[in-house]
Amino acid sequence: MTANQLPGPDELTERERKTVEALVFGLADDEFVLAERYTEWQVRAPTLESDLALSNIAQDELGHARLWYDLLEEFGYTESELLFERDPAEFTHAAFVELPFEEGDWADAVLRGYLYDTAEQLRLGALEDASYPRITDRIGKITEEESYHREHAQNWLERLCDDPEGRENVQAATDRLFPHALALFEPVDPDREAAIQELGLRSEPLADLREQWCAITVPFLDSLGVRAPVSEDGTLPELPDDHGRSSAHTGHWPALHEELTRTYRELDRTDTPTITSDPDHAQ
Amino acid sequence: MIWEVFRQEQAGEYHTHCGNVHAPDREMALLFAQIQHARRKPTNSLWVVPKSEVTTVDADTDGVEFGGTTDKSYRWVSAYNVDVEFAEEIEESDREQRQAEGES
Amino acid sequence: MIIHYKRPDVMNVEEVTERAEPRAFSPQDDMPEEYRKAATRMIQFHANSEIMGAYLERPFIRQSPSLDRKLAFSAKVQDEIGHGQLLYRAAESLGIKTREEMLDELAAGDGKFLNCFHYPMTEWWETPMIAFFVDGAAMRRQATIKRTSWEPYAHAMDKICFEEGFHIKHGEDIMRELATGTRRERQLLQSAFEEWWPRILQFFGPTDDQSTHHDFADRVGLKTMSNDELRQAFLNAYLPKAEKYGLEIPDEPRIREEEGRYVVEEDDLDWEEFWEIASNEYAGSHEQIDSRAAAQDAVAWARKALDRPHGS
Repeated sequence: MTANQLPGPDELTERERKTVEALVFGLADDEFVLAERYTEWQVRAPTLESDLALSNIAQDELGHARLWYDLLEEFGYTESELLFERDPAEFTHAAFVELPFEEGDWADAVLRGYLYDTAEQLRLGALEDASYPRITDRIGKITEEESYHREHAQNWLERLCDDPEGRENVQAATDRLFPHALALFEPVDPDREAAIQELGLRSEPLADLREQWCAITVPFLDSLGVRAPVSEDGTLPELPDDHGRSSAHTGHWPALHEELTRTYRELDRTDTPTITSDPDHAQ
Repeated sequence: MIWEVFRQEQAGEYHTHCGNVHAPDREMALLFAQIQHARRKPTNSLWVVPKSEVTTVDADTDGVEFGGTTDKSYRWVSAYNVDVEFAEEIEESDREQRQAEGES
Repeated sequence: MIIHYKRPDVMNVEEVTERAEPRAFSPQDDMPEEYRKAATRMIQFHANSEIMGAYLERPFIRQSPSLDRKLAFSAKVQDEIGHGQLLYRAAESLGIKTREEMLDELAAGDGKFLNCFHYPMTEWWETPMIAFFVDGAAMRRQATIKRTSWEPYAHAMDKICFEEGFHIKHGEDIMRELATGTRRERQLLQSAFEEWWPRILQFFGPTDDQSTHHDFADRVGLKTMSNDELRQAFLNAYLPKAEKYGLEIPDEPRIREEEGRYVVEEDDLDWEEFWEIASNEYAGSHEQIDSRAAAQDAVAWARKALDRPHGS
């Protein structure tokens, strides 16, 4: 395995670097935008305790985004370029994470967390032996935090589905989110997808991960009395047109990006203040 | 049946876990706990709780990293490059945080 | 289960006054209703303020101009909700109201909270006014409440003060950045300061507090310092800070230095507005209270799920 290890950030060939980028941008943008949406629940969650838990999950995801963006910064990008000055159309997250929450739709929050973190577990698992050490460095820290997220989401879903009103809300969220969640298994750059495996970055193709994801999520939802929109013969629903990744985003994304860059733009900032140390030098 | 015992030394202080007793019911547990855990040490109050009612999450057994695994230094006074000496309560908060984080 | 060696009889107010040491009373003590009501009023106000402060600051998680600032803002707002959780518990332990009742009162516009959290805050350069000055003022006050006579309140304060230090540093760091930034940033900071300064001075209320609440709270050890002493302590530490960051202290309200003390000309402050706010009747109050109430109401269905027995 070590024979095929890729070198450090400065010694990668152009093709290798672009391939790593195609992989990591998707991971980073997914975490970042999901966290941005999660923070909407701060001071709005059902109870004070659940508010604290969801805030923590948001911070975890932001922390994960930072780890991935930091990896990209080793290729010369700055945080300003990556977050504040990048054209919103160039963000590569699945539109699944950018969809707004309807006020009070806690079923959406926990279901989204469940679908996302189950996907996250699988895709990080497939990166555990990645040939680029900068990636494997980060997997352990992230995986550790994700297991709390899954447990949290599952507990809530079980509870909500205990009564008809709650189950109805979870069903409605499933109908809406499930097709969008499939985009988590879409490539950021279809032309580089083959290279991601060839170079030993990801051990499994996205389609296989998607299949595994369905094999976990569909029966779990079923056990709660919630039907995922998958037909008897296993046919998946069609991806929405604006599902993000390499295709278009929904109109919600530019609006969200506009809001989150507001201060940066209004103050004509060119730089982003940091508080924490570089993750590779911390501890 | 085992009962966990929490002892508070003086009014105003915290009840902290000090041990347990075997007893068949609440009343006996209270009687035994008073003698076993409060006869020698100064005591203001005891809480006695059935052990089976205490639910646990444990760093080693459950593989949990309390406080997370990614860098969360932004939650600490020491991450900010500004002075703390101007207000004693902030100095104290900083000191407590450093102690909690295992610095001296 | 709680057992007591020396179960006290119901105390009367004279006995309470006599025994009113720091952390002297706990739920084991049978406190007179007057004490329990006064303590509930004080702690509920404090808890409500944590929630409404967090509500005011939450938009800036999104509007933070860097990833680290966003993390810090999220962590800060999270801490404030955690403080609300601690304080409502401390208030509940007096046996007058449940947390649900207190949150419902807040949503209905009957819950009182700090004057500063009634004003809208819309711009990033305003955030240090809350995150540094108001939190700094609150922390001055909270440090003295570690010595309150209601033990659960003091215990809540131990944890709150432990966490709160970072909030003020976070606020100061944002202020430092603006104060050492572009000319425009410095101007925006100054104008935010001028707008917020009188409100911040009113944080501790009028010093010649005529309220009957104050006397009683003081007598039974719920409060340990007067409004005037607290405002002195605040000005001693924070006025020099404002000056250090190049902020010009507005001419009004006039503040004179007399024998090492700051004397605020209280007639220069708008007390009519202050009392309007104190009764939740200020225009901004409605906006803050109602939009938070709508959010609380929208998740009532999910809260219900927590009350149902599960898994049996």
